[in-house]
Amino acid sequence: MKIVIIGASAAGITAAKTIKALDQATEVVVISKESIIHSRCMLHKYLDQERDEQSVSFVPQDFFEANAITWLKNTRVLGLNTEMKTLKTDGNQEISYDKLLIATGAAYFIPPVPGLREATNVYGFRDLKDAQLLDAECRTAKNAVVIGAGLVGMDAAVALLKRGLNVTVIEMMDGIMGLQLDEKSAQTYQTLFEGQGASFLLSEKVVSVDLDKAHRGHLIHLASGKTVPADFIVVAAGVRPSYDFLEGTAIQTNRGITVGDDMRTNIQDVYAAGDVTGLSGIWPNAMKQGKIAATNMLGGSALYTDRYALKNTANFYGLTTLSLGNINPEPEENCDVSIRQDHKNYQKIVSKDGVILGVIFQGDIRNTGFWQYLIKNKINVSGIDKSIFDLSYADFYGVDKETGEYHYAV
Amino acid sequence: MKRIIIDREKCDGCLNCNVACISAHQEGSNFYTVNLQGVDSETRNFIKFDSKTGYTPIFCRHCDEPECVLSCMSGALEKDPETGHVQYDETKCAACFMCVMNCPYGVLKPDTRTRTKLIKCDFCEDKKDGPSCVAACPKKAIEVKEVSL
Ligand SMILES: Cc1cc2nc3c(=O)[nH]c(=O)nc-3n(C[C@H](O)[C@H](O)[C@H](O)COP(=O)(O)OP(=O)(O)OC[C@H]3O[C@@H](n4cnc5c(N)ncnc54)[C@H](O)[C@@H]3O)c2cc1C
Ligand code: SF4
Ligand code: SF4
Repeated sequence: MKIVIIGASAAGITAAKTIKALDQATEVVVISKESIIHSRCMLHKYLDQERDEQSVSFVPQDFFEANAITWLKNTRVLGLNTEMKTLKTDGNQEISYDKLLIATGAAYFIPPVPGLREATNVYGFRDLKDAQLLDAECRTAKNAVVIGAGLVGMDAAVALLKRGLNVTVIEMMDGIMGLQLDEKSAQTYQTLFEGQGASFLLSEKVVSVDLDKAHRGHLIHLASGKTVPADFIVVAAGVRPSYDFLEGTAIQTNRGITVGDDMRTNIQDVYAAGDVTGLSGIWPNAMKQGKIAATNMLGGSALYTDRYALKNTANFYGLTTLSLGNINPEPEENCDVSIRQDHKNYQKIVSKDGVILGVIFQGDIRNTGFWQYLIKNKINVSGIDKSIFDLSYADFYGVDKETGEYHYAV
Repeated sequence: MKRIIIDREKCDGCLNCNVACISAHQEGSNFYTVNLQGVDSETRNFIKFDSKTGYTPIFCRHCDEPECVLSCMSGALEKDPETGHVQYDETKCAACFMCVMNCPYGVLKPDTRTRTKLIKCDFCEDKKDGPSCVAACPKKAIEVKEVSL
């Protein structure tokens, strides 16, 4: 059997590895438009020159050879014929498959703001290629502007600050990392970034960008009337699943390729996994989906039931944060909010009727892994007679006497 | 694979396993000379106390399906196909701590001093007598046993 995987990132590589671990004999072909395997989550470490092309990889350099996987690098898939079971590449190759995994992830989105899309010095921060282009800009530029203060924007800002640039971050929400943090925890990070020289323009919207003769954006106009000078601009305003090449096929999409719990699409022998499904936008979930798709492509029966994706960690300037679930409840949700803090830590637990809905742990995040289980499984903790902050896995301890594996006794 | 099998009832909370773990990861120290107070004195195993249930040992399971490995964006965490143990390569780690978030049992933690690396049980793979915590437990509440994968 020949399995073709489009995409060589979290989902695609995990799938390829899983297939080879389960069955050496299956032929695996991985197609990717990039020629260097890289982890996006480490792009800031490339841009700040801590890592190079090799050390941003998340697999050993001999991964493909060692696993007898064919890798078609520098190759973009342009179209798909699900009846003939073939796909077409930009090199005009036609590649056949018995089973296909689409793991093409997502691509950044540039808002339709006048000047922004036309400018030649506007970049996303998604691929190694983006980081390489930014690296070149950093060599001459003084003023960098980052649009969007989500995790990706802040990753970019960290690296640009380390490169010694003046960095201005523009954000529509009234705080940074607004999806992961609340006012207090965001302010703490903001102060740290400001300490490194960053400026923030919050609750601000970009309305247009002035271009110079070379079509470089040099002045950003905001809705408030303020202007910001820029030598180059990084846009971190969200991503969209990448599946243009499905045009003309009957594969169902709905802001992502539609898949069942088994990662199958509506078309026989075509699977999808990772950001391209729109089910999640984080690395662990993409890996898990890739693993599940691979298992099922080989006839197994694994299900993606652990769909929880409202989770993130941040680690900027040595300050770590865990953020899970609903951390900014609306007043009408009538949630209980418990807060505990000292000079180094800020901890917030949002719950309702004994069920935890969300947590922020900023500062000390050690041993916090169990919170996710409690939240995603809606475990009622009201019967446990201790401070909610003192909960640990020990309160739900269960062990299999034979295998020694843990489980939750709830 | 070999796993540390826990008998919660036998644990009486002496914390010898904590001391042994700190010492095993503190160059040149032994059970008597180990510095337990330093910021680098990190234990990889935990004993939780509760007035109703008593002591509960929480040790990395080197899980059959390790969630930590399935979180790792740098390739630093891998389950060794031979030993079955989940090993951590500090040189690859990019300190994102998605693994801390995803270990369902809350076993993992960033290093206290720098938050640039992970503190994780390595099964004392470099020690010929096996896990130091097990050797140090006077109650045999933790024992290494062969389990099938
Ligand atoms: C800067 C940044 C930081 C991040 N930090 C974190 C973090 O700390 N933690 C976290 O959990 N997540 C983080 N994420 C999100 C995480 O990187 C993604 O969720 C993850 O990469 C998704 O993996 P994927 O395999 O689904 O797709 P992607 O990583 O998007 O990869 C898609 C693959 O498909 C290929 N491809 C796409 N279209 C084609 C085509 N037509 N032909 C051939 N190949 C194609 C691409 O080249 C690539 O190999 C971050 C993302 C960014 C951008
Ligand atoms: S760290 Fe947690 S998830 Fe990883 S192997 Fe140990 S117990 Fe399992
Ligand atoms: S902190 Fe290190 S080991 Fe843990 S998931 Fe991130 S890169 Fe992997």
